[in-house]
Amino acid sequence: MFLTEKKDVKEIDEALSRYKKIGIIGCASCASVCLTGGSKEVGEMEKHLAASGKEVTFTISIDEPCDKRVLKEDIRFVEDEMEDTEAVVVLSCGTGVQTIGEFIGKKVVAGTDSKYIAQTEHIGEYNALCGGCDECRLNFTGGVCTITLCPKGLLNGPCEGHNGVNCEVYEDKECVFMKSYDLMKKYSEEENLSKIFNPRDYGLSVKRTKI
Amino acid sequence: MRIIPQIETPVSENYINFEENLIKLLGGIEKTGLDNQNAGQDSPRIILEQNFGVNGLLLCKDLKDKQGNLNIAYAFNMRDKNRISILSDLITLKQIGVKDIIVSEGIHPLKTVFNAAKPVYDVDILGITSILKRGFMNYLEGIVDKDEADFFNLGAVVSASTAVDGLKVKKLINIGADRFIINYTGKNPDENIIKYIKSEKKEVFLYVKESYIDNSPEDFIKANWRLNLDGIIIKITDEKANVFTRQ
Repeated sequence: MFLTEKKDVKEIDEALSRYKKIGIIGCASCASVCLTGGSKEVGEMEKHLAASGKEVTFTISIDEPCDKRVLKEDIRFVEDEMEDTEAVVVLSCGTGVQTIGEFIGKKVVAGTDSKYIAQTEHIGEYNALCGGCDECRLNFTGGVCTITLCPKGLLNGPCEGHNGVNCEVYEDKECVFMKSYDLMKKYSEEENLSKIFNPRDYGLSVKRTKI
Repeated sequence: MRIIPQIETPVSENYINFEENLIKLLGGIEKTGLDNQNAGQDSPRIILEQNFGVNGLLLCKDLKDKQGNLNIAYAFNMRDKNRISILSDLITLKQIGVKDIIVSEGIHPLKTVFNAAKPVYDVDILGITSILKRGFMNYLEGIVDKDEADFFNLGAVVSASTAVDGLKVKKLINIGADRFIINYTGKNPDENIIKYIKSEKKEVFLYVKESYIDNSPEDFIKANWRLNLDGIIIKITDEKANVFTRQ
């Protein structure tokens, strides 16, 4: 799931200051799970905008607004109201915001801050485990991502700053390289223990913008 | 055993005054008799660390010009520069004749006053070692001849308290790191890791911030004598008032 957090509503109000007729689109997938863009949050935004003197032209939750195919189908339910809409508040991740903006050709305002790809512990408690970087190295690290879990994003750790157990930065958390080592030992992955990762090829990260 | 001061380049002090004080400091250390210069004659006498201060390359060049025989090491981290910038520094260091470099991953900006800064960590110290010593990606082709691949004496800053630290040391040795600088964090390093480094005929130093030295440097040296180190690098913050100058 892609984790989002609610934006400060002042920023949304400021971005909408020049617009009167506002639509609201929520995301019934990731943003719904992390309580930033589900039907409840869409309703809350509707109330807020109405109280701010805006005219809310429509509200809708779309299953996956980042998927053009789904968006194209679902947006038809509000196409008449869209005609009369000046700006749309989108309660989804940045990909959803941009996909909708491109599709409707109207001003879109992001209602959330996009964070990271997250594991859901409980509703409201999430862990960042994947940065979606480029070449996945999990097969060589005991199955934990050092790029995401090490604040320095090191491939060949640990750094010189750990205290023997815990991370230099997050002193209450175990250094991910200790965990990686333990897992490789557990799975008898001797070849991975001695593996040296070459510096990352960031050229791949640029290329991935269009796969 | 060598006793080597390490200091960050100055932030507000004029660099010429700073250099003059460094020379006085080295004279002061020599007078203490703690630094056995016969033990490891190739070791640097002083380490200039690049952080948020005057350009360290400029200081290395100026100090070398003024003190021809002074063996200076340049310390830098992977936090602040990408591979292009690091290679630029290495090319400059080669031209000005500074052979000793010390590389660390670098303390994360969140633990510094620059906590809003974006850290780089484009390459880690194994990465820069493989670029330098293994010719990875041929970045230095045409710049450093193959027979000059060992121009730089590369010192790697590591922790040495866990099995995974030992593994990193082993990898660094395999790709050609020349020296090891063990970061002292208040706990004694694993003697087996030190023994392993020594068995591979590599020099090993303990890097300690002066704040960890409760009494005198002499006491600290005595307390760590059994580790059979090649030297102790003491990070000082003020070249005029420090663990060597205080009474």
